[in-house]
Parts: sequence; structure tokens; C-alpha cells
Amino acid sequence: MARTASNMDFGSQLQILNDKEMMFKKIYPFSAIVGQEELKLALLLNAVNPKIGGVLIRGEKGTAKSTAVRALAALLPEMRMVAGCPFGCDPDDDLRMCARCRETGSRRTIRTQRVQVVTLPLNATEDRVVGGIDFNLAVKKGVRAVLPGLLAEANRSILYVDEVNLLDDHIVDIILDAAASGENRIEREGISFKHPASFILVGTMNPEEGELRPQLMDRFGLCVDVKGEAKPDQRVLLMERREAFDLAPHEFLKQFERENERIAAQVITAREQLNAVRLPKHLRTFISELCMENLVAGHRADLVMEQAARAHAVLRQRSEVTTDDITKLAPFVLVHRARNAQPPPPPPPESDRKEEPPETNDANEPDKEPLPDNPPEGRETQQKSGERISGDQQPEPDETNTGDRLDEKKPPEQIFDIGATFTVKKITSPRDRVLRRGSGRRSRTRIALKQGRYIKSAFQDKTGDIALDATLRAAAHHQLKRKNNYGLAVCLKPEDIRGKIREKRIGNFILFLVDASGSMGARGRMAASKGAIMSLLLDAYQKRDKVAMISFRKNGADINLPPTTSVEMAGKLLAEMPVGGRTPLSAGLAKAHEQVRNYLLRDPGARPIAIIITDGKTNVASGDQKPLEEAFDFAAKMAADPRTQYIVVDTEEPGLVSFGLAARLAGILGADYFKIENLKADQLVNVIKERR
Amino acid sequence: MNNTQPIYPFAAIVGQENMKLALILNIINPTLSGVLIRGEKGTAKSTAVRALADILPEIEVFAGDPFQLSPSDESDLLHAFTPVVRQKEASQAKPVKIEKRKVKVVELPVGATEDRVVGTLDLEHALKKGEKRIEPGILAAAHRGILYVDEVNLLDDHVVDVLLDSAAMGVNTIEREGISFSHPARFTLVGTMNPEEGELRPQLLDRFGLCVLIEGVREPEDRVAIMEQRAAFDEDPVGFCKKWEAASRKLGERIERAIALYPEVAIERSLLFEIASYCLDIGVDGHRGDIIMLKTAKTLAAWHGRKKVVSADAEAAAELVLPHRVRRQPLQEIGEDVKSLRMKK
Repeated sequence: MARTASNMDFGSQLQILNDKEMMFKKIYPFSAIVGQEELKLALLLNAVNPKIGGVLIRGEKGTAKSTAVRALAALLPEMRMVAGCPFGCDPDDDLRMCARCRETGSRRTIRTQRVQVVTLPLNATEDRVVGGIDFNLAVKKGVRAVLPGLLAEANRSILYVDEVNLLDDHIVDIILDAAASGENRIEREGISFKHPASFILVGTMNPEEGELRPQLMDRFGLCVDVKGEAKPDQRVLLMERREAFDLAPHEFLKQFERENERIAAQVITAREQLNAVRLPKHLRTFISELCMENLVAGHRADLVMEQAARAHAVLRQRSEVTTDDITKLAPFVLVHRARNAQPPPPPPPESDRKEEPPETNDANEPDKEPLPDNPPEGRETQQKSGERISGDQQPEPDETNTGDRLDEKKPPEQIFDIGATFTVKKITSPRDRVLRRGSGRRSRTRIALKQGRYIKSAFQDKTGDIALDATLRAAAHHQLKRKNNYGLAVCLKPEDIRGKIREKRIGNFILFLVDASGSMGARGRMAASKGAIMSLLLDAYQKRDKVAMISFRKNGADINLPPTTSVEMAGKLLAEMPVGGRTPLSAGLAKAHEQVRNYLLRDPGARPIAIIITDGKTNVASGDQKPLEEAFDFAAKMAADPRTQYIVVDTEEPGLVSFGLAARLAGILGADYFKIENLKADQLVNVIKERR
Repeated sequence: MNNTQPIYPFAAIVGQENMKLALILNIINPTLSGVLIRGEKGTAKSTAVRALADILPEIEVFAGDPFQLSPSDESDLLHAFTPVVRQKEASQAKPVKIEKRKVKVVELPVGATEDRVVGTLDLEHALKKGEKRIEPGILAAAHRGILYVDEVNLLDDHVVDVLLDSAAMGVNTIEREGISFSHPARFTLVGTMNPEEGELRPQLLDRFGLCVLIEGVREPEDRVAIMEQRAAFDEDPVGFCKKWEAASRKLGERIERAIALYPEVAIERSLLFEIASYCLDIGVDGHRGDIIMLKTAKTLAAWHGRKKVVSADAEAAAELVLPHRVRRQPLQEIGEDVKSLRMKK
């Protein structure tokens, strides 16, 4: 798998580039970073002991995350490397060496190089991360060779992934796999190859933009939450230093040179003495007890803690780990692993979380349906005398209530606060074969862009996205007959060209159909419902969906929000949504259907998800039928269009009398049915089985 | 250049002082990292950005260099770049000429594909001829210039991510389809958006140094003035521009003076504390707010021809720097007035 001359040229050019980059981009010195002690400590620990397995940095933007990582690399000593080896093999470490370096033995020449920060851009494709076919060689010489990817470049260096939570899942998997095994295996596009890839993985993320899966989180050895400095004098110092650096970088670097050298020397000695550090047995027990207490899954936490404690001890120039080391480091190791210590979803804007309904209804009211749909309408009817009140009041099963008429505390229209929010379950649409464009993170689809994971090749090449391996295979058996004009080893004709079919996640269109009738106001159910909707909206924000919102109450349904990407608007409207009046479910369904249909006309490939939040009760019909029958009829018609997926969230309170109307509605719609409580992600049942 | 259609002169824009100031500050000091202009339609957002071309200073570049490298800073890089880029054979061997030209305003259309933004490899060419040929994208063209994104909130998410990456690092890295290539991409990001059509993600917001909220002019006289100016321009663009030439030149000269003055501007420690307390009171994430606010205050002082930052500069800077940085949840709206926010806390 040698890189031959032509290939080397390109590689060495890049080498020049990278070195130059270091030169003209002056790097802010590590020792000059104000505050962020935890971050600096975590990075140093990793520099001393790479077995810790990287750092995940969570937190605010603009807190010197990238600066610290780059500064660390600039501070670390130069490493010996086998010259010309694309993987940067260590000449003194025979175990971790690529196949070629092992063969060359003593003939190899050595060069030195600083530790690099290899940045993984968010749009990197899989072949560049792990490596792929070197097409220069393939076409010119007809040789099957590997073009090393970023993981090769990152060997023995730092791999820095900004916003790791926004990276495509399959790429994250690959990286973490390599990080854990110290080896990158390429098994794609007809290549089977492996090379050493041990690197310090540093990822940053902002939890508001979506969480990492717990499995992935666990792979990061340490986790640091960073915040801005709260003390004014620290902030001033920071500004002064930054300004001094920007104005006169050279002088500034000189000023901190000595301190930087001291830290570098500390790291070097620590590395040498790391193996000599002892960990007393009772402390091992202590570690495992700590991990048990925090309900950590698996044993990685224990191992990481041990490695980190040893590194910490040696940095403090001790030859034995003490309890202090462990207590100091425990938060770094446990914060992202402790179960149920999932970082809470961002609190709702209105901070008073009402899990329980406000005590407006007395608890001694036995009635399950305390708020009638009729009386609150009273004031309205006085204002608008044209409203029909009694005409279409059907004898519904839910019209059993009477007691609430006396309740004077309740105004006819109420605005409820948004209840507690939670992480919702995964909601996705099933896969199909339609090519789509777009971005986001919800449902898998084949994609008409040069993004996402390459799953297979096909004849068509619509996007100019050529599948090299398939193209070469297609051309292979013609080679004997063909003549080549350019002196290349392989002659390709247009008919050989094969395109890539790719798959990635994109956002959906999510329509919220919210029951805002008076019955929802009872016992704070609206607060809980709003909480559920808010949770779904936060989820939609993270998955980059388009949303629309329709509410139905009184005699009709209103489009509160036409389809938009502004989840903010939806949130604002939700907070202001009033509750009161009767329940025209069928009108709501009709309006929802209309919206979805219009959306599908504009974007035929879309996969709308309609989320209906209701208790299923209805008492207003649009036509002559009984309200409930009409609603079910509508539902049956809506279910006929297979492109839309329905989800019914039942807001009916569990109790003695439950009508289960929402469940029936869900049955007719072919919808997935949830109670609000069941929407939470921590329950094990998976929401939607992917229907293939 | 003379044959192209005349651009409405910057100096002739009526009102919108905040926006004009923010744009000028960014020209004086490119490290302010951009302006986000939030506001209604038809409020001279695009006009102002395009008109900037008039008053921009000059920079030195290599003749015909698609990467706009700086001859004093990055000259060595050019030789590494040339062979992999589609270029005329002639320019490879000979030493390249250095020329002076104005800073460019590069526009990023909303529908731009990622390929066009970051640059791409012509794979079919590579397969047929066995040569790698990279076509630099918009980010290469925007290096050392102004990258203008109209309706930045409607941009595809993955393009936004790319923009963020490059804006943060000052380097555009291409790692896809068998190419690994990076080039410097330090640009002043100017974006416009209408908040009703969707918000930006906090990270991207944070990347814009300054943020101005603009609305239509309220005074009837000013509205009349706008109509008159516009009509005059439409009638006789060349004459109109000539009429404003003196004003434009004066503005340009004032900007150049400010650029020269900027390195000498000093700030007292007490004012630094004031800046820090501003940020703390309002609750901004991280420290980018502090740093940008300091730079803005200094630039303001230079703009006003002072060598010392005064308290009013800091105050004015706060209004430009902080509103979009106030810590908020993903679904919260952006506040409008820093002063009132500060009172509330």
C-alpha cells in the first residue's frame, strides 16, 4: 500500500501547507489562557496519558475551547516519525506500526514533527475520514492503493471535532471505533486495510443543539462543562491579554514562553514517569464504589478514572495516587456517564414548571370532566350574539358534566403556562426510495446531494457524484479492447460512470394539531399538553424540522402558524395559545388535512408527520353528522393517503371513567398512539418501528 | 469597471445610521467579524452592502490568484496552491505580479450548493485524464473580503455549518471525495435576515460580531428624501454618482484615517471593567462578547478621531455587540434593547 511518487507530491504539498499554517497563524499560548482550569487540566491529562481516551467539551460558545486545543498542540514536544509514512508511525514502537514501516526496519529515515491538530470538518465524507481508493494511482497506473484519510493524519496527534453532536452518526461511529481500538480498519470500495490510529479525541458540543447518543458519550474519557468567567477582573484580564496578543503577537508569545516551556517540561517528565505511578488497592475499591454509586453502565468509567488519576498524580509529581486525585477527577469521568444524570433539557422559557395542575379545581370534585364546553362560552356569546350554542350540542358520552358550571374561578379563556418539558422519543418516518434534498436530523432518506453515507452505486449519475469503485469495476472488462489517449492505465468511457446513492437524515414537516377547547383547560391538562408540545418543538428544533401549528376550539380551526422553520415562532404562539370553548375536532382534522395536502403539492417528496394532541372528545360538527362520527369519518379518509404519518397524543386523564376516544381515533388514522407520559424518551418501548 | 452599472453610493443612503455605522466599523477593523442586519424588507439592507464597494480600502493581491492571498503574509502558500488549481499553465513558472485592488464583496446566494461554497474537485476530469483539478469556491474568493449572505436564515443547514467552521478557524478545509485541501478563508461575514422567517442558531449568531436591528424610516421628511434620491438615481445613475462622489471620497478618507489611527487607540482599565460588567449583567455566553465589545469601542474611538476610548464608546458598542448574545434558550426571541435588559436584571 505504498504511496508512490505522484501521490507523495500531493501529500507533501499538504505537509508544507500545514507547516506554513502553523507559521503564519500565530497560536495563542496555552499558559496565557485565563481561567478554564478544568478544561486545561483535562487536556493536559490526556497529553500525559493518551489512554484516558479524549475529552468532550460541553458548553457555551466563545469559551476558548478551540484556542485551548490548538494551544496544547503547539506546546507539546516534537515527535519522532518515520519519514514518508502517511500514518506518522513511531519508529520506536514496533507494535503500533503500519505494515510498510515494519518491513522497512532499520532502513527507514526519521523526521520530527510537532503534534498536529487535525480538524474534522462537519461535511467530511466517510472516504476522507477513513481513507479510500487513491484514484490517481488507480487510473494512471491501474494500481489498487489506499489514499489515507483523516484518521491516518491524526495518528499520534489530536483529532478535533467541533460540534461533534452535529456530525453524521455513521462518521461519529467510525471515529469512536478507531479511538477505542487505536486502529483504523478500512473495509470499503474493494479495499481491506488497517493502520494504527491512536489519537487524542477532542470534541465540543452545545447540548442545546441535540445530545450525543449515550453510547457515544461514553466513549469520551473525560467530559468538561465550560462556562464563561463570572468575575469581572478575570474577564478584564482576558480582554487585556487578547488585545495584547492581537496587537503584537510576537512580544506576547515571548512573554509567556517561559511559562509554556515549564508546562511542556512538566508534561514530558510526567509521560516518562507515568508507568511508575502506583495505585493502592484500597483506592481501586474506592473508584469502583464511586462508579457503582453513580449507576454507571459498564466498566469504562472505572478504567478511565484509574488512568486519569495516575496522570493527575504524576502531574502533581507524586508517585502514588491519593484519594484527592480521585475526588478531583471523579466529576470529569462521571458527569456524562452517570445514568439519569442526562443533562436536563433546556427549561421552558417560563421557568415555573407546573407538573401538577394549579389548584383551581377543588380536589373534592369527583367529576372527570370538570370543565364543560358550554359555560365558558358565555361571555363570548354575549359579545357575538350570532354564535350558535345549543343547536349542535350532541349527546356525547363526555357531556356528563354539570358541576363545573358553578366554578367561578375559571375565566372563559385561559392561557396556561407551558408545563414541564422532557426529551421525547425518537419519531421518524419509514425509509423509502425517493431522492430528497435537505438537511436536518430526523428521518433517513436517500439524498440527492453529495452528502451522507454512500450505500451503493447505480447507473444514474444525477449529481455528478461518481462512485469510483463501481466505475472502475464497470470499465474493467473493457480494458483489453480500449485504447487510451492520455497514457493512463485505465480508460474510462462515459457509459462506465456510476453514481453514488447516498443516505442521510433530513428534517420532516411536522404539523401540530392542538385541541385548545375548554375541556383541555381542566386540571392543568393544557399545561401538561403544552409541555409535551414544547418538548416536541424542542426536538423539532434539534432535528431541524419544518413546523406548522393548527389549533381548534369554539367553532373552527385556525392556522396559528403556517409551515416555517421558525420553531421559535411556534414556541411563542404556543405560550400564548388561549384555551376555551367547544371542541370542533372534525374541523381541526379537515384543516390539518388541507395543510398537509398543500404542503405535499409544493414538495411531493415530503414526508409530513401530523401530531394530533387531543383527548378525542368532540362536540361540534361541521356538517349534519354527529360530531364524533364525523370526526371518525374524516379520519378514515385522511388515513387513505399513505404519505402522511399520524401520531395521536392522548391528553385524557387516566381515571375511573375513560372513554378512550383518542385511541379509537388513532386506530382509524392508523396512527401511533401515546399518552403524554409515554412520549418520554426514557421509557424503553420504541415509538415507531421502522416500517420497511 | 467603468462599463458596469453604477452602484447607488453609500453616502447617499438616507437614515439607517446604525447599519451604516456597523458596516463602516467592520471595514476599519475586520477582526470585528461581521455584521448581522435584522429587519424588514426594503430597508436598504442589500443596497448598503453593495454600496460598500465604493468606500472600501485597497489590498495587495497576486494577479489572478483565486485565493486572494496576501503577498506580505502568505506568499509561500501560493506556490503550493497553484499546481492543484485549474489555472493557466503560464502562471505556474513565472513569478507572479502583485497588484492592488479594492476589497471585494462576494455574494453567497441562498441556493448555493456546498460544492460551490467550499470548492470542489472535478472528479470526471480526474478519472478521464488522471489529474486532480480543484475549483476554488466562494470561500476562497471571499478571503480578506466581505462575504455577503442575503437571507442568511434561509441558508441550508449544512452550508451554515461550513460557514461557521471557516469563520471560526479562518481556514476552509475540504475533506471529501478524495481531496484533502485547505486554504485560508478569513472574511467579514455580513448577513441579512428577516426574523419572521426563522431564527439563526445561537452559534451562528454568536459568530457575527455586531448585530443591528433596522426598520423602515419613520419620519415623513426622510421617507420623501429616500424617494427623491432613489428617483434621481434611477433617472441618471451616472450623474447621481458624480454628485455624491465628493461625499463618498470624504467618507473613504475618513475610514482610512481611522484605520491608521486604530493601533494607537488606548483604553483605560476602568472602562474594561465597565465592559465586563455589561456582559455579566446581561448574561452573555462565553467571552466573545467582551472581546468584540472592546474592539468595537476602540474602533468607534478611531472612527471619531480619538486616541482614547470614552465611556460613550463602550455604551454605543454594547448596543451593537450584545443584543444577539444575551443568553437564551433555543426557542426564545432576541431582545432589542441592551439598556432595558440591563435594568431588568
